Amino acid sequence: MAAARLSASLVLQPRARTLRAFSTSVSPATRSPRPSPSTTERTSRYGRPLRRKALPPRTEKMAVDQDWPSVYPVAAPFKPSAVPLPVRMGYPVKRGVPMAKEGNLELLKIPNFLHLTPVAIKRHCEALKDFCTEWPAALDSDEKCRKHFPIEIDTAGYVSAGPSVRNPKARVVTLRVKLSSLNLDDHAKKKLIKLVGDRYCKSTDVLTIKTDRCPLKRQNYDYAMYLLTVLYHESWKTEEWEKTKTEADMEEYVWKDSSSEKNILETLLQIKAAEKNLELSKEELLGTEEVEEYRKSVVSLKNEGDNENTLSQYKESVKRLLNLT
Amino acid sequence: MTFELDPGRFLHIGTQAPQCLAAHLDNQVATESPRAISRTSENDPAKHGEQHEGQHYNISFQDLKTVFSHGLPPRFVMQVKTFNEACLMVRRPALELLHYLKNTNFAHPAVRYVFYGEKGTGKTLSLCHSIHFCAKQDWLILHIPDAHLWVKNCRDLLQSTYNKQRFDQPLEASTWLKNFKTANEHFLSQIKVQEKYVWNKRESTEKGSPLGEVVEQGIMRVRNATDAVGIVLKELKRQSSSGIFRLLVAVDGVNALWGRTTLKREDKSPIAPEELAFIYNLRKMVKNDWQGGAIVLTVSQTGSLFKPRKAYLPQELLGKEGFDALDPFIPILVSNYNPKEFESCIHYYLENNWLQHEKAHTEEGKKELLFLSNRNPGQLERLCAYL
Repeated sequence: MAAARLSASLVLQPRARTLRAFSTSVSPATRSPRPSPSTTERTSRYGRPLRRKALPPRTEKMAVDQDWPSVYPVAAPFKPSAVPLPVRMGYPVKRGVPMAKEGNLELLKIPNFLHLTPVAIKRHCEALKDFCTEWPAALDSDEKCRKHFPIEIDTAGYVSAGPSVRNPKARVVTLRVKLSSLNLDDHAKKKLIKLVGDRYCKSTDVLTIKTDRCPLKRQNYDYAMYLLTVLYHESWKTEEWEKTKTEADMEEYVWKDSSSEKNILETLLQIKAAEKNLELSKEELLGTEEVEEYRKSVVSLKNEGDNENTLSQYKESVKRLLNLT
Repeated sequence: MTFELDPGRFLHIGTQAPQCLAAHLDNQVATESPRAISRTSENDPAKHGEQHEGQHYNISFQDLKTVFSHGLPPRFVMQVKTFNEACLMVRRPALELLHYLKNTNFAHPAVRYVFYGEKGTGKTLSLCHSIHFCAKQDWLILHIPDAHLWVKNCRDLLQSTYNKQRFDQPLEASTWLKNFKTANEHFLSQIKVQEKYVWNKRESTEKGSPLGEVVEQGIMRVRNATDAVGIVLKELKRQSSSGIFRLLVAVDGVNALWGRTTLKREDKSPIAPEELAFIYNLRKMVKNDWQGGAIVLTVSQTGSLFKPRKAYLPQELLGKEGFDALDPFIPILVSNYNPKEFESCIHYYLENNWLQHEKAHTEEGKKELLFLSNRNPGQLERLCAYL
């Protein structure tokens, strides 16, 4: 391009000189400012291939019901002349609008999925149907799928044209399983969650194990299954040192043997002593309805944190316990 | 904001002004109602009820000097000095607490009540209202104005004479003892100590001598002040169950007892709160293993250490340890003004000519103040200070 500019400037000077020679015969008004010949001439008089005027873009010739997958059969960069949409992209200047699509670099930079319209995908599916087997008729709902196949394995394959067909990303295997489908009791579930740590999502109850330490996909799959088996069996075992679990290790607040229980017991005992009513024993005191309600409110306060609801519940239960109006 | 100070308008703010300006106000607003809305003549907290909600009642100067020598928030003290009168608004949380206090069963262990709420909603003043009530009912008031002051900014920490592991704070202890003495003069001669306390080789307090002597000893010998405080607390706790007197323990900012301190030893290692003798004794005081009184507390973020600014809920401020220690307690929420209380507050300021802006008593002005302060008492007071 720089060479063309250079040659153009070199050519300009002789042309200007020739123009000046003709200037006496040609009046200044009719003298054309640019020394370009008329547009219909393809070849130049001066030996330089001149640019032809731009043709109207292809979009103007497109029918509304055309076959779009043939315009974009594969992933291709965005061609403003081939996409009939009046799309704009860019940060507008003050009192302006985003830039139009012609010559817009932003639209070129981003990935586009113009080759994957629903029509195109339908055609892909039709083509792939010949290679597929039938979906089993018994599995017609999500729950049945989850019931019979609780473990879900995610793998990804990569196809690309290049010097090698192998892709190192293809060895990653993700194993997802819901803990409710595993046979775990309370202690086993808590131990499993502690063992896996971050890999367990509390809101969806899904354990996710992602493996990629082996070079082959098959090996990673075996390793993931092995991990699941080991976790399951280990969580059922109880070790010696688990007996030293302290209050700080507990996942949720446990009322029994907590300081709250001790406090309330002492308070109630003192109240009873003041009223000279020593017949009730510790178990009976703890079993009354008011203490039960108090226990529930304290547990919800500790587990859920403070909010209007829990605090007012706690207040009511304490008032009832201590017999305040 | 279109508010600008116009100094030419109202020139004198003295006490003679209300008479001539009351006529001015009377012309503009309904005549007798400003006084009726914002004030009540019932000055005894014991008789305050639902009908007095939103109204201000007067605290006599006598009570101010004795009961509230160290209890009121500093901005309120400035307001009292300016208006030359101390008026407190009767509000629902305080009324609720007074209702509980009136129905306390003194044979049962002391019940703990905790005021909680956002910044500036009136927890300290509600506490002061209940203290005034108890003082009028002739209870013994044990008031710690701000427990946060004890866990920070202490210049001199001495090793405790009583227990080598703990630390003393002589200055704070002696100031507190002086204020305690002014608040409860008449009790100090009645209560007798039940043990002999030896201060050092030459001085000791015999069994059966009045508590006033212990307090005097603490004030005079600043080194033993913290120990004197500890003895006072122990004796009061022991003897309140016997029924001679009723004890009210009022602590503002009780979350300081279980938080962290900013005090350090000489080797720059931090001190835990329980290593301060005063905090240790105070923790024993707010436990509910004694009878014959009540414990009223507030949790506040203002002045607290290492707590986020938006924290106001009891569990957040007390932490796990504090909650377990105070459990079971009655939490009482102190919220912003409701519309009636807001009107009453504005009327009170207008009566005392605190709002000098000419638009202050119009409806628009009130709406603007309502919007700017969101009905928060502390915020409203700060805003009106500029007008």
